[in-house]
Amino acid sequence: MIHFNELVLPNGLKILIHEDPSTPLAAVNILYKVGARDEDPNKTGFAHLFEHFMFEGSVNVPDFDTPLQFASGENNAFTSNDITNYYDILPASNLETAFWLESDRMLSLDFNLESLETQKKVVCEEFKEHYINQPYGDVWHKLSALAYKVHPYMWPTIGKDLSHVENAAMEDAKAFFFKYYRPRNAVMVVAGGIKTKEVERLAKKWFSDIPSGEIITHNLPKEPIQTEERILELHEDVPLNAIYKAYKMCDRMHPDYQASDFIRDMLSTGDSSRLYHELVKEKKIFSSVAAYLSETIDDGMFIVEGKLNPGINMDDADKAIVDCCVSLADSVSDNELQKVKNKTEAFLTFSDTNILNRAMNLAWYDMLGNAADVNTEIDKYLAVTKSQIKSVSDSIFDKNKCSTVRYFKK
Amino acid sequence: MNRTIAPEIKTPDSIDLIDYQKIALDNGLPVYIINAGDEEIVKIDFVFEAGKWYEPKNLLADLVNRMMREGVKGKSAKEIADLFEFYGCNLESNVSFTNAGFQIYSLSKHLPHVLPLMMEILTQASFPEDEFSTILNNKKQKHTERLAKNDYVANRTFLSAMWGKEHPYGRVTEYGDFENVTTDMLRQYCTRYYNASNCFIVIAGKLNDELLKSLNTIFGISSWKGEKAPKDVAHIAAPLAEKRIHTDKKDAVQSTIMLGNASINRYHPDFDKLTVMNTVFGGYFGSRLMANIREDKGYTYGIHSALSSYQHGGILEISAEVGKEVSEATITEINNEIELMRNDLVDEDELDTVKNYLIGKLMRGVDGPMKYSDILKGQLLYGREPSYINKYLKTIEETTAEEVRELAVKYLNFDQMYKVTVG
Repeated sequence: MIHFNELVLPNGLKILIHEDPSTPLAAVNILYKVGARDEDPNKTGFAHLFEHFMFEGSVNVPDFDTPLQFASGENNAFTSNDITNYYDILPASNLETAFWLESDRMLSLDFNLESLETQKKVVCEEFKEHYINQPYGDVWHKLSALAYKVHPYMWPTIGKDLSHVENAAMEDAKAFFFKYYRPRNAVMVVAGGIKTKEVERLAKKWFSDIPSGEIITHNLPKEPIQTEERILELHEDVPLNAIYKAYKMCDRMHPDYQASDFIRDMLSTGDSSRLYHELVKEKKIFSSVAAYLSETIDDGMFIVEGKLNPGINMDDADKAIVDCCVSLADSVSDNELQKVKNKTEAFLTFSDTNILNRAMNLAWYDMLGNAADVNTEIDKYLAVTKSQIKSVSDSIFDKNKCSTVRYFKK
Repeated sequence: MNRTIAPEIKTPDSIDLIDYQKIALDNGLPVYIINAGDEEIVKIDFVFEAGKWYEPKNLLADLVNRMMREGVKGKSAKEIADLFEFYGCNLESNVSFTNAGFQIYSLSKHLPHVLPLMMEILTQASFPEDEFSTILNNKKQKHTERLAKNDYVANRTFLSAMWGKEHPYGRVTEYGDFENVTTDMLRQYCTRYYNASNCFIVIAGKLNDELLKSLNTIFGISSWKGEKAPKDVAHIAAPLAEKRIHTDKKDAVQSTIMLGNASINRYHPDFDKLTVMNTVFGGYFGSRLMANIREDKGYTYGIHSALSSYQHGGILEISAEVGKEVSEATITEINNEIELMRNDLVDEDELDTVKNYLIGKLMRGVDGPMKYSDILKGQLLYGREPSYINKYLKTIEETTAEEVRELAVKYLNFDQMYKVTVG
């Protein structure tokens, strides 16, 4: 159970405060409700590039990292399709340093052209390191473009193409900042060995004078229901033949979400899971398999991937995955359902032990609609029934909602 | 309010450590107990003196550990996995150069089911042939996959150049290794090293007397005592004379760069202060290497230097993935930064930032029983009490700019470094 208090400043900034007297540390997490899905299709990768730019000096403070490290802190950030999330963790005695730094970069940035140019180079190297210079590195580009035809999930967070990052301009950065990086579009969490009163005092002191900004409506196009199987075959310099299958699934707030996650768990988490046991151990079709969710706010992807053993035919491998997934609907025992419930209970309890995780989760659930839902998520999982697993499984594993990328070794 | 002025900071000068208790089970097995935390969860570490240092064939230490959960007397691999996972228990394996073992993450309420099963893995492993061939095949496939990654190739080249291919630190996986291990070898290795005399346990979380008593009933039995395996196994390094090694990948858009050499380990009196030097140089986000090569030049997404300490030696290594066209320029800049470390005094602000950063890192490392158990284990492996942490903290605080420069002169030498590039 994560207890928290809530404060909303007149400019619209929401601050959630979670006291944990057992730690001498404090975590400060600021989630901005902007991600790659909010980008212009001709300027993709921008939200992530902008995340880098947020560390390049703000209006009154030339450098973000050094003062935070001087205060014994550490910080980082990540960008997803839906959000951009920044966090600092430091001794609670130095909490004000994080308020000083975070408030100044919410107020305004330095907007230094040279820094922008350098970060464009850094991000291009990141793009190359993770998406070009790696076997299967292009899979996210291929798979999302195959699965989404209308919704901006069709490009990955890093951007559609290197040139989009290279062409990013300072005007875009300014417009982006003053639209999205405003108090109304952010949620802040302060957690750890701190006192609510003190956090309230600091929040008012450092964040009150930041202009509130406009109310953002995301207005994203809804991805139409996929009605045909899509297959892309690639002949590349990869070490092993591989297959990636992305089935369309519900959005994050849909009541089927937890059942979908259980299906993922039954299929691929741990040595007892179905894909691993049947296709790696018994039939020896794959040397590794995995299933995971894209975990997006809007309609998502249920992804299954596998690396083929030598001599295995691609069509047979594909069929083996499909058979294993489809057969789940009618073969889940009470014992297997209880297993994934027990695993989820343990997983959520362990992830709650980390103060930074708790802070991030509060911000994420607030973004989803209600921070207090962080404490009832487990109940949603525990309420899932076998018949729900069946109906959700039947709806996900529909051939006509599947996009497949097949890699053939050159 | 003046936003250009930083708030006052207070750096802690010591760290409150959680108390722990040491007991011995009836068969002599030492158990370190950290009874703390509010959640009903427990983490248990089983640490054996069973790492790669002692293996007669390459891959053996790793394969023994992997295969121990692939079948026990009366239970198949699937049955074992089903049971652990039914109880929501995460069983992790780890194999390092000198140690190997398992970690259990479990809700307290399920431990009565989980612990006896763990003991079956430790004492009743059956090493079935069919499971073995599957595991071997999957590992071989993984090897093929990794060989396509430049950083993996660079790391292999780097380690085998530095230590020689016969030394455990430099012995890299070759395809032939998969043919040289038999289940009989696994059985012998398991019996010899996975017993109470080569083990210690670290347990952390909210614990009760009943649980602690059951530890003795289950893991304290005399039939599992075994014999202490000799630790004085010697391996002689055979470093390569050639320091510059390039592997060409004509289609690569980036190069992997690794520079470094064999260095000291935690037993050496210079080590703690060398950590300060290394952090300034390339050990954190604000380091010299990052400031120059990422933040100024934009050559890379990240460049780091790291000190790795092992029981029989250490490694100092610098690594980065950089644009192919700036690979030589990066090496030149690394050399420039080394020269600056060796010739100039680090200024006080920068040194203070690094010291404060390291203290913060330590605070995060010991925060809560789960993380603290890793720190405790790390200290025990070097024969130290955890109170050493506050001694280390004091050493960091006392490190001077002159000492940092002396340590750079002593341990950062561009000419002595292996320089490996793949790309």
